[in-house]
Amino acid sequence: MSWLRHRTVVFLLVLAAAWAGSEAFVRLTAPGRVDPALARALAADTLVNVAVTLPFPPEEFHIRLFQGHGVVSGVRGTTVLLNRVGPAEVRRIARQYWVRRIALQ
Amino acid sequence: MTPRVETAALGLGVLGAALGAWSLAAATLPLPDYYLPPPTAVLGALTDLTAKGILPTYVARSLERILLAAVTGLLVGVPIGLVLGMSGRVSQFCYPLLNFFQSVSGIAWLPLMLVWFGFGERTILVAVNYTVLFPLIFNTLLGVRSVPRLYVNALRTMGAPRWRIVTDVLVPGALPGIATGLRLGLAYGWRALIAAEMLVGAQGLGYMIFNAQSFHQTARIMLGMGMIGVLWVVLDYFLLRPLEDATIARWGLVQR
Amino acid sequence: MTRMAATLRGAAPFAALVLVWALVTRAGLVPPLFLPPPGDVARAAWEMARDGSLWVNTLASLGRVLLGLAAGVPLAVALGVVVGLNRRLAPVVEPVIGFFNALSGIAWLPLAITWFGLGWWSVTFIMFNTIFFLVFFNTLVGVRTVPRIFEHAVRTMGGSRRHVILQVLIPGALPSIVTGIRMSIGFGWRAVIAAEMIATSTGLGFLIFNAANFHQSDAILVGIAVIGVLWLLTDRLVLQPLERRTIERWGLVSTAP
Repeated sequence: MSWLRHRTVVFLLVLAAAWAGSEAFVRLTAPGRVDPALARALAADTLVNVAVTLPFPPEEFHIRLFQGHGVVSGVRGTTVLLNRVGPAEVRRIARQYWVRRIALQ
Repeated sequence: MTPRVETAALGLGVLGAALGAWSLAAATLPLPDYYLPPPTAVLGALTDLTAKGILPTYVARSLERILLAAVTGLLVGVPIGLVLGMSGRVSQFCYPLLNFFQSVSGIAWLPLMLVWFGFGERTILVAVNYTVLFPLIFNTLLGVRSVPRLYVNALRTMGAPRWRIVTDVLVPGALPGIATGLRLGLAYGWRALIAAEMLVGAQGLGYMIFNAQSFHQTARIMLGMGMIGVLWVVLDYFLLRPLEDATIARWGLVQR
Repeated sequence: MTRMAATLRGAAPFAALVLVWALVTRAGLVPPLFLPPPGDVARAAWEMARDGSLWVNTLASLGRVLLGLAAGVPLAVALGVVVGLNRRLAPVVEPVIGFFNALSGIAWLPLAITWFGLGWWSVTFIMFNTIFFLVFFNTLVGVRTVPRIFEHAVRTMGGSRRHVILQVLIPGALPSIVTGIRMSIGFGWRAVIAAEMIATSTGLGFLIFNAANFHQSDAILVGIAVIGVLWLLTDRLVLQPLERRTIERWGLVSTAP
């Protein structure tokens, strides 16, 4: 079993553990980012308009990412206004660890 | 002090001196700020970009692409190399062609790919996959050719069918060549990937450092460069070099 | 007769390739925009040779490669020898240079543009640092792995430090140095082509990238062919003779235990 201590094996194990850990963390904290009112509205399975609040002013990277989830209608300070977002998209946005909060506009 | 501790201490000393000199230069040189940000700025960029989720995404994107190229290269290149290598005549014929196509790296083909596919993900993937593929085909072929005829003949005299010769002698014998081809192909491929990301503007480390230059965010450039170097060193030290060493150690007998 | 036969044998695969290429385009399997027939490419090459754009760009690229070599090799070898001689410093510097090796080439381009702006300075810098770190590293490793016994032998015969350096260490490190030069030319050429696409308006890289913007597939293929031919020529006419004269000549002194 000495091969278990070989650096390649340790490396791959650490990598797998890190990935599993981050996935678990992200999925566990995701619901906490969604505003309760929004969570209720999502049950209707329609498109909603949301305001995504970040702990920092969004950069081009974030705007581009949001454009893949809906229609970016504006930026107010550290909040991005995103229109026509479905429940699946909201969940996907909530899983980003750098998002502080998603709420209805 | 043992030599190991002494080297480590000396290493830390040199590192400290280098960082100190850098900070001093950044503070005193009469150049605009964005020419030489101090080490603290680079560290700040690291925390900033990680907190914003930008760095992990770009790193993941670049790694995905190079990994895909590695897998494709192995699945496609190794069989081709094996088949070509089995015949001496075919190998001799293909050798100059493979050498030529290997030396014209994927980046040189990128403009043609732009004509074919435009500025998109497929262009990058084709260029990088090409860059990884040819060293793999070439080195697999060399690996097969380097198996001494003695072993092939020995199996023949024992009445082994053709496919047994391939699986029991040619493939193991070619493994060191395959490992070397993978290492070389990925070395070229990683660099080609960075260049392709700069040219095509797709999300990734190459794009990150290129984009940062337009905004004079030099600390981000240095951070990106550091990541590019670290990722390759990690890949090479933990995966590629051990693989190469292991195949040479185990099947190296069959290779001169 | 054998020389000519060998050249013909070397050219045959390429002739076959061109033949297949011509057949594919004649059969209309691929649109001419994507893969122009060999005739179009030859015609484009002739025109580019006539109006000079082929020569200007080829010489620009070659010039950068040669300049990078001329500046990088002596400096890298000198530093490699100096650091390699210092038994304390060498093990510390080696991994650092190894790291910079991993970083070499196109990754330096945005920084180079920040410092030098767009243009040939940046591209030449890319070539320079690719050569520098790789040759430095290889010189370092080469000097360190020369068996001590040769050094002692020269000393016992009354040789000075200079003798040791010139007659033992440098010849002993030469195979490693030449390997480093060979690898760095390989990496360096690719980096130069890529850098020319991004950062400058002359050179083979620029030529093919620019041609892509105008959808001139035939010009692109001319450029690619020139790049490949240049590399083959460098390999055949420069690197192989160099390796033969150094590695085969001093190969005795090289191998590490």
